[in-house]
Amino acid sequence: MADLINIGTSALLSYQTALNTTSNNIANVNTEGYTRQRTNFEALSSTFTGGFFFGNGVEVGSIQRIYDQFLTADVLNRSSSFGSSEAYHSYASRLDSLFGNSGSNLQSSMDAFYSAVQDVANNPSGLPERQALLGQAGGLVDQFTSLGGALENVNQEISSRVQVEVDEINALSAQIAEINDEISSTGSRAIPSQLLDQRELLVKEMASKLSIQTLEQADGTINVSLANGTSLVSSSLSNNLTTFRNEYDPFRMEIGYSGRAGDVAITDDIVGGSLGGALQFREELLVPTQNQLGLIGATITTAFNQQQQLGMDLDGNIGQEFFSSFNLRSVSSSFNTGSATVTVDLADIGQLTADDYELRFDGVDWRLTNLTTNDSQTGAGPFTVNGVTVSIAGTAATGDSYLIQPSRDAQQQFSLAMADPRGIAAAAAVRSEQPISNLGTSAVSDLRVTDATTIPLASDVTLTFNPDALGAGVPGFDVTGIAGGPLAYDPGTQSGGTTLTLAGFEFTVSGTPESGDSLGIVNNVGGTGDNTNALLLADLQNGNSLLNGTSSQQDLYSAMVADVGIKTARAGASMETEAVLLNQAEQSVESIGGVNLDEEAADLIRFQQAYQAAAQIVSVADTLFNTLLSATGR
Amino acid sequence: MRLSTVQVFQNGINSILSQQAQVNSTQTELTTGKKVLTPSDDPAAAAEILRINSELTVVDQYQDNAVLAENQLELEEGAIDNLENVLQRVRELVVQASNATQSEETRSAISTEIAERLAEVVDIANVKNFNGDYVFSGFQSTTAPFTIQSGVVSYAGDDGQRFAKIGANSEIAVGDPGSNVFLRIPSGNGSFSYSANAGNSGNGQIGSTSADTNFIRDAYAIDFSQATPDAPLVYTVTDSSAAIVATGNYENGDSISFAGATLEFSGNPEDGDQFSVTPSASQDVFSSIGAIVDVLNNTSDDPSDLALLGTELSLALENIDRSMTHFSEVRTEIGARLNRLDSQREINSSFSLQLQETLSDIEDADLAETISRLNLQLTSLEAAQQAYVSVQGLSLFNYI
Repeated sequence: MADLINIGTSALLSYQTALNTTSNNIANVNTEGYTRQRTNFEALSSTFTGGFFFGNGVEVGSIQRIYDQFLTADVLNRSSSFGSSEAYHSYASRLDSLFGNSGSNLQSSMDAFYSAVQDVANNPSGLPERQALLGQAGGLVDQFTSLGGALENVNQEISSRVQVEVDEINALSAQIAEINDEISSTGSRAIPSQLLDQRELLVKEMASKLSIQTLEQADGTINVSLANGTSLVSSSLSNNLTTFRNEYDPFRMEIGYSGRAGDVAITDDIVGGSLGGALQFREELLVPTQNQLGLIGATITTAFNQQQQLGMDLDGNIGQEFFSSFNLRSVSSSFNTGSATVTVDLADIGQLTADDYELRFDGVDWRLTNLTTNDSQTGAGPFTVNGVTVSIAGTAATGDSYLIQPSRDAQQQFSLAMADPRGIAAAAAVRSEQPISNLGTSAVSDLRVTDATTIPLASDVTLTFNPDALGAGVPGFDVTGIAGGPLAYDPGTQSGGTTLTLAGFEFTVSGTPESGDSLGIVNNVGGTGDNTNALLLADLQNGNSLLNGTSSQQDLYSAMVADVGIKTARAGASMETEAVLLNQAEQSVESIGGVNLDEEAADLIRFQQAYQAAAQIVSVADTLFNTLLSATGR
Repeated sequence: MRLSTVQVFQNGINSILSQQAQVNSTQTELTTGKKVLTPSDDPAAAAEILRINSELTVVDQYQDNAVLAENQLELEEGAIDNLENVLQRVRELVVQASNATQSEETRSAISTEIAERLAEVVDIANVKNFNGDYVFSGFQSTTAPFTIQSGVVSYAGDDGQRFAKIGANSEIAVGDPGSNVFLRIPSGNGSFSYSANAGNSGNGQIGSTSADTNFIRDAYAIDFSQATPDAPLVYTVTDSSAAIVATGNYENGDSISFAGATLEFSGNPEDGDQFSVTPSASQDVFSSIGAIVDVLNNTSDDPSDLALLGTELSLALENIDRSMTHFSEVRTEIGARLNRLDSQREINSSFSLQLQETLSDIEDADLAETISRLNLQLTSLEAAQQAYVSVQGLSLFNYI
């Protein structure tokens, strides 16, 4: 009977525990990271009496935490990938809506600006038209500034995010190390399930910030390292990540790691997770877009100013800068120890690209590397690359480096230099003349100034037709007032018009001159009704003069917008895929380790019934004992 | 597969949330009427939309430019019209003045009217456009191009010609400099001009003239000589190097031809009378008219004076005819430009229409399709919500 009571009691105690576990599962049904537990029963060892083995009841063998480490590892990976694409997509969407918003459409500002140029061409001496052009130019500048400012805000926001995320990652490392410490101090005894749940939650949070690898140790602790093996948590020790300012750009935060060999920059090793996604966005979309916008600003500024300086304003002066000229950025590394200075000049706007370059001194030679294509050239300099001239003066120390971003600053420095509407150079600087006394029919058309240094003319240029200008029987024009004559012109074959050039000029001569007929090129004094230069300014809008004659300003902008759109759409698609994959992985884990209330209800009933039955055993034992007592008590 | 309770709830919520997101995006599509709202919706379409919108702005601007160009050309055409009328009147007056019945007084009266007409021509030449710019001063738009001072008209404009952009590769001249319209008119019959020596004593005069394509440009002198009063009247034509190019006997009404030129003479020159022929050069319309005013004022009724007047008036008629031909050429060119403007405007507007259609295809939402999609999505959203409510009511605990 003692056996019976013992057996009954063991069952009562065991089912109490089982009911506990079940209740705990029910209680934690909504606890994040909770893994369900199961009570495993074991039969107590038998007693050998009288030639037979008798069972001694039941005990709780273990309370098992139901999980699958492979599925859990899968969740970590997925959570890194999802975190990365989510962060990338959320930043990209901001650029996307920046360019999609019709209110902040740079294209429509550019169109309105060039339309205003054509309005000036329609009435070159009209002050209202000129004032309207200045107004539209102001609108264009505002549009540029606000776009550029929005991009720079995103850049700075990413920098502060890097800081915050690194702090959070360090805190997570410390917490994981602490839990590791607690776990290892429990010795070989069972590890509290809730510690493991908690640690798993921390690891998962970390994985959503950057891609990590975990390795479980024999004593139950885990080591956490970056994808490249850099250790973040090793047993109860955590290693901190650090942040520091970029050597070229103080607004740009980089990530470092303090190891035995001192601080090492590991920004490029951070992949995955929200941190990795933000860094990838900065590299892949933000910086190129900033450069591209800068390139557009650079081309508008340069092309417009160059043409403006070939024309004449309403007061008869040669045109001045319309947009303020910008600085071609070269930044020296904060690690430089030498005293070299690097100057960047724009040689040809038609060849400028949005690429950045690194200039590095190896002690003997300089190496200029295009950071987009990785093409490089070495030598003592100066270097010429994509329309830019890089010249070096002074003495550099070995390892000194410079970052050259030719187009970057044009975006922030894009501004209007002209305030006086009379300053718009609508008129050409020179005009052609035909004396009334000419007997033939020759005429000059399409007169264009190609070199600003030749205007205003020091003296009038006169072309006099001479049937023997270039030797007997070879007709042409004798030229006075400028070097470069005589010019061959044969009315017999070229009367339909032919292009002639003199230093700084280009023009078409047509018709049949008589000997002694002359054509003049003179300063356009009083030419307020001339719109020649305004038409040339308007032509800048659609001319394919950029990127080696392949693109117009409009093309550059739409290419930039398409690039943002493509990358945002790609990030969106990848985010959706990753969300599905993460969801699936989480479902798998949840499907094994999550609490199902129906299941727990069934368990509750099952264990309650078993408990009732066990109580019945004790009751039976009692009845038996009483029966015996009453039988012997007589 | 085993599901946890949280999973069951989460799945239900997730499906409702994703349906809601879809409904929201369709709703935005419907309310804006656009299917591409941000570049990522369709990057290629977004770039295309930018390009088309930009082209539309440019084409609109070309149309505006064309309207302004048309106004200016029509203004110029009107001015030329007026000029031709005035010149027609001057021509009639010259014909009237050549009539033998005119006296010194009537000639003077005609001269006064022609002087008035000259002033009218100068006024027309100084016309301004709607911007207050002078139409015929070239680039010197704020300077009055023609000023008349003691009967001499001078030109203060230049040879500049303004253009307007009316198509991507199409520029059109919106005017002509005064120098081309008023100054560059060939004198005489277009090949040569002529005059009678002021000291001529006979009554020989030059009537109409002509030149063929073989005309050799040079200055010629026609000398009449008569050895004795009974001898035949002989003419000798010499060129600038004093070489004789033609000679012969002259009788009243004969034509004299040489080097591709033919001059009809009338009357009887006397021995020693001389006429000269000079190659045609540019002569402005003002001096052509001004010359008539002078000559009409200063001619007596003496037969030799009248003969000089006859030659001058023949030349004046030729000069005026030249001017009228020139003006009609200018007017034809303006007409050609107006035609080109018209056809370019049609090209522009059909291009613009085509762009708008393409834009609408790319950018605009298909309403019928979008509405039916919205309905479908609303139905699934409702279904998801109902499913959620019925599933979440299920629990074994209800039965314990």
